[in-house]
Amino acid sequence: MTEAHPQTVYRSLLGGDPRIGWLGPGLALAIALHVAVVAAAFFLPRLLDRPAPVRKPVIAHLVALGKPRDPRLMPRKETEPPAAASASSAPEKPGAPSSGKTAPRQLTRQEMMERALAGAARRTRDEKPDPERAGQETGSPAGTAASAEEGEKYFGEVEDKIHANYVVPSVISERERLYLSATVVIYIGRDGSIVKHVMTKPSGNSFIDQALVLALQRTRLPPPPAELARLVRDEGLEINFKP
Amino acid sequence: MRRLLLLALAAATAAHAQRPTIDISGARVQAYPIALAPPSGAPEGADVMEVLAADFDRSGLFRLLDPRSFLADPAKEGSSANTIDFSKWTAVGAQALVKAAAKVDGDVVKVEFRLFDVPHASELLRGEYSAPRAALRQIAHRFGDDVVRSFTQEPGVFQTRIAYVRETENGKQIVVADWDGYGPQQVTSASINLLPAWMPQGRALAFTSFRDGAGAHLFQVDLGTRAVQPLVKMGDFATGAVFSPDGIRFAFSASQAENTDIWLSPIEGGVVRRLTDSRGIDISASWSPDGKRIAFVSDRAGSPQIYTMAVDGSDVRRITFQGNYNQEPAWSPKGDLIAFSGRDEHRVFDLYAINVQTGKIARLTQNEGTNEKPSWAPNGRLVVFSSTRSGRKQLWTILPDGSNARQLTNEPRGASDAAWGPLPRK
Repeated sequence: MTEAHPQTVYRSLLGGDPRIGWLGPGLALAIALHVAVVAAAFFLPRLLDRPAPVRKPVIAHLVALGKPRDPRLMPRKETEPPAAASASSAPEKPGAPSSGKTAPRQLTRQEMMERALAGAARRTRDEKPDPERAGQETGSPAGTAASAEEGEKYFGEVEDKIHANYVVPSVISERERLYLSATVVIYIGRDGSIVKHVMTKPSGNSFIDQALVLALQRTRLPPPPAELARLVRDEGLEINFKP
Repeated sequence: MRRLLLLALAAATAAHAQRPTIDISGARVQAYPIALAPPSGAPEGADVMEVLAADFDRSGLFRLLDPRSFLADPAKEGSSANTIDFSKWTAVGAQALVKAAAKVDGDVVKVEFRLFDVPHASELLRGEYSAPRAALRQIAHRFGDDVVRSFTQEPGVFQTRIAYVRETENGKQIVVADWDGYGPQQVTSASINLLPAWMPQGRALAFTSFRDGAGAHLFQVDLGTRAVQPLVKMGDFATGAVFSPDGIRFAFSASQAENTDIWLSPIEGGVVRRLTDSRGIDISASWSPDGKRIAFVSDRAGSPQIYTMAVDGSDVRRITFQGNYNQEPAWSPKGDLIAFSGRDEHRVFDLYAINVQTGKIARLTQNEGTNEKPSWAPNGRLVVFSSTRSGRKQLWTILPDGSNARQLTNEPRGASDAAWGPLPRK
């Protein structure tokens, strides 16, 4: 009688057949698939290489203080919003010494917040806006629009900041100034700095292109919110300059 | 397997996120910074440069840099591109630079001008301009127009003239002056004369006058001979002639049987044609630059408002709906805007401009006296109007956005009813 040998049953494809070594076909297949997945993740975007779809955010502007103007009346000239109060005008506590030898106590976060709110409230109260400036009764003296709209606040701030420097020279012919447009992509760092700009569609007029570059160089943007920081740094923000 | 692939694709898409886009429009227009270097040579050069500086300033196209800030020494610096240290002009903010050298030959003043593009350190324009000493100002006006054309590819208006009404002891008289108000010449001397309008070629003016003692009618005066002739005498009165851009006909207002309407006449006279026939008062015609439409004022809807119509009187459209008293339309040479004066809720007349396509009205003047009777410069870059902002009614110029207001006349008794003349013939 021959001695019965125990049978080995391979239940797992990953186990491998000791007769052909531990690198079984299942494992090879798995590795190949992993490599394929990683390669697809890396190469597919480049192979497809379609232009990045642009997303049109809804811009939110700060609503101006005032009353909506009766549309039957003749329009008023648009007035600039009053200049924002400087940081140096922060209020001091009543009775506090204006100068002293002792170093000022470090304010707590709560105290700083209260002071900032009190200062903002007083500035708003003391502000004397143009009584005929169109806006809304619940708006802000520094408002940039007459009516409210929902939207992405940060892009509204970017638009306002760049618009403040969007100046073209008068010697451009009226025909070009009124009809030419240009597109620039800006890349915004976490601190709000414009780290790079690329003119993807020049206007065709060197005066205008030069003015746009100058406008971007002069602009100081606020830091982007955390949820947009990576997007505006890596993908950039496309700006269509129109007349 | 399929799930893994989908996950990979999703990761790839997320990595290639959508780029947001925003639109920025409504650029502010800023005058181009220009430096006028002190001229060399004869002292007449300084007089010419002074006129040129005033032209540039009034035009709103240029911002003159203060000569006290200049870093370059005019005595040492040359006048050609390779001898100018452009960095010194860049440092003071100049984008353009003008150099001039003057000399006098008998009674003739000659000035050689050069215009430089400072950022590119290159010469844009060069030329010698001469004129009799008495016409020294024309040297500056001619070179200034060439500079404007060099930058904008559009004609300048420094050689144009402006007609207006001067208040005198003997009534209101028609005056013609250079575009900057210099050299006013009175071309009428009696009665009350109003609403001058330039006839084709700029050789004559049409105007409304009470001179024949039979009410107001239209007359014309030859600017060379000062001869006055009747132009239209019909109905109770005829007033406000305006000539078509092609110069072959003119529109005017006339009252017959107590109904005031707009009429059209060939320039050589003959059969006149009635364009409006409303029960209200239709006055103040103004031609569109293509000669196909006419803007006018009508109170047919209860209050004076601006309307337009086809040149045959059809297709009447009301274009102003704000305010309750809008008058004196002036169609811009570019055709996009109609300037007019309107009364606001404080019962003050100010200047406005309505976009013909969109109907949007922009206010040009505000809180500065009464402002009336706009008239466009022939290149559409300036508007002349009358204003009480400095006391008596005087003429002022302003840019179409309402900025850069500059006083034009200083008439002792006042000036009004400005009409900007055509570009000079080449």
